[in-house]
Amino acid sequence: MLKSEKKSLIRFLLIYLLSTFLLFALAGIMFYNYETEHILDKQKDRLGHQAQKIKTQIRTLHNTFDKALVYPRSELFESAIYDSDKNYIMGTYTKIKVLNEEKLDRHANRIVHISKVEPYYLGAAYLLLTKEIDGTLLWELQKSIYMFMLIAGVFFSILGIFLGRLFIAPMRSSMEKMNRFIEDTTHELNTPIGTILANIEILESSDKYGASKELNRIEIASKTLSRIYDDLTYLTFNHKYNKCIEYLNVSSILEERIAYFSSMADIKQLAFEVNIEENIYLDIDNNDLLRIIDNLLSNAIKYNKLGGEIDVCLTNRSLRVRDTGIGISKTDIEVISQRFKRANDSEGGFGLGLDIINQIVIYYEYVLEIHSTLEEETIMEIRWER
Amino acid sequence: MGKIILLVFLVFAELMSSETDVSNSEILQNKCLSCHLSQQIPDELIYRRYLMVYSTHEHMINAIFVYMKNPDKKNSVMHHPFFFKFPMKKKSNLDDTTLRNMIQAYLMRFDVKNKFTDID
Repeated sequence: MLKSEKKSLIRFLLIYLLSTFLLFALAGIMFYNYETEHILDKQKDRLGHQAQKIKTQIRTLHNTFDKALVYPRSELFESAIYDSDKNYIMGTYTKIKVLNEEKLDRHANRIVHISKVEPYYLGAAYLLLTKEIDGTLLWELQKSIYMFMLIAGVFFSILGIFLGRLFIAPMRSSMEKMNRFIEDTTHELNTPIGTILANIEILESSDKYGASKELNRIEIASKTLSRIYDDLTYLTFNHKYNKCIEYLNVSSILEERIAYFSSMADIKQLAFEVNIEENIYLDIDNNDLLRIIDNLLSNAIKYNKLGGEIDVCLTNRSLRVRDTGIGISKTDIEVISQRFKRANDSEGGFGLGLDIINQIVIYYEYVLEIHSTLEEETIMEIRWER
Repeated sequence: MGKIILLVFLVFAELMSSETDVSNSEILQNKCLSCHLSQQIPDELIYRRYLMVYSTHEHMINAIFVYMKNPDKKNSVMHHPFFFKFPMKKKSNLDDTTLRNMIQAYLMRFDVKNKFTDID
């Protein structure tokens, strides 16, 4: 599965599962509240039945009115009686001294049942019965809801993956087609470019065409094609390619590449100012190093002014390439590393260069810095020493 | 010095209060209960009846006060047969405050809250 496919699938799954979860959570909360009320009402009803028994006992006490009255007790609940002014008279529950029915519906995690006593036996106008909420049933209810959510979650995740794959199938198919086309085209380009470059070398060595301007132009165009081919190959086959990290002499490779690009620079009458420290070594894949150097140099040539300068500076800390070209605006610098984005569309190229540089810099945990002044200069620096 | 004055004041107030209780009790005995005793008035029954109808001592005091000032069957919560057995009381000649105090003291003799036992 391609990265972009994975991203799309993950995004789809996230949105799908999150919205499904929210919907189920909302339904679960509503169901829980409804069922809780139902359970508590049942428990309250049972207290109501008990209240009738207590009232009978209070009436008996009132009628006998013995010297010592024993308030009725029960292990199942606590109770208290209140006078017509709602003040506490007596009871086994002593925490509520003044009755306020509105505030007592869920008093201290307890069920409270209040009923009127008429007539006022023992002066009691209200009878309060209370007991702690039986949490077992609520816990059972919670467990059922959690279980349902879990099963629904698993089911909808599987369904989401299936749907996601179904939705991205057309996109996947077109991307596969496009990739196959690029791979085939890239592969087919290799042979003619190689042939052209080999024949140019043969022609250059002959007396007849050696110094020909036309041949020089063909060489430059072929090298440009060759470099684009290399970039395309790098981007297309990068995920299939195993990097071979070697201890490479960057100084000598850089010198070779400057020589390779000199013919392209000559056509724009660019002057190279080269400052390369000798024997700078890096642990890097050869192809990656070539991509960095080639893209930095080709950009410096491509976006330079006629008769401009290119400064190349290599130290044990960094590689810096400066050109005196069109420059890049600040806003463009932020987005310039994105694939196919070019600062100025007037020049050739496919904008692949900076994307490749960026990928390599991220891979090796280097730092890429771009400083630019419009119409003056652009400095691209890759630092490996922090 | 301040503490001593406060202490003396508190002792004096307590003594006055005790004296008032004693005097209320004496007046109740002389002005009310002596007669109740001789006529065998069922005090507890009256208390229970008023308690059942009025619930609180405050309301009971008000109701009994009205009856005492104007003794009439309409102003009593007792059943009519009660008055066949026990004669209608004469109008009280006590002043309002004393009468209210007497009723209060009378009710406190049967106070339901004090009757409960075995409760924390």
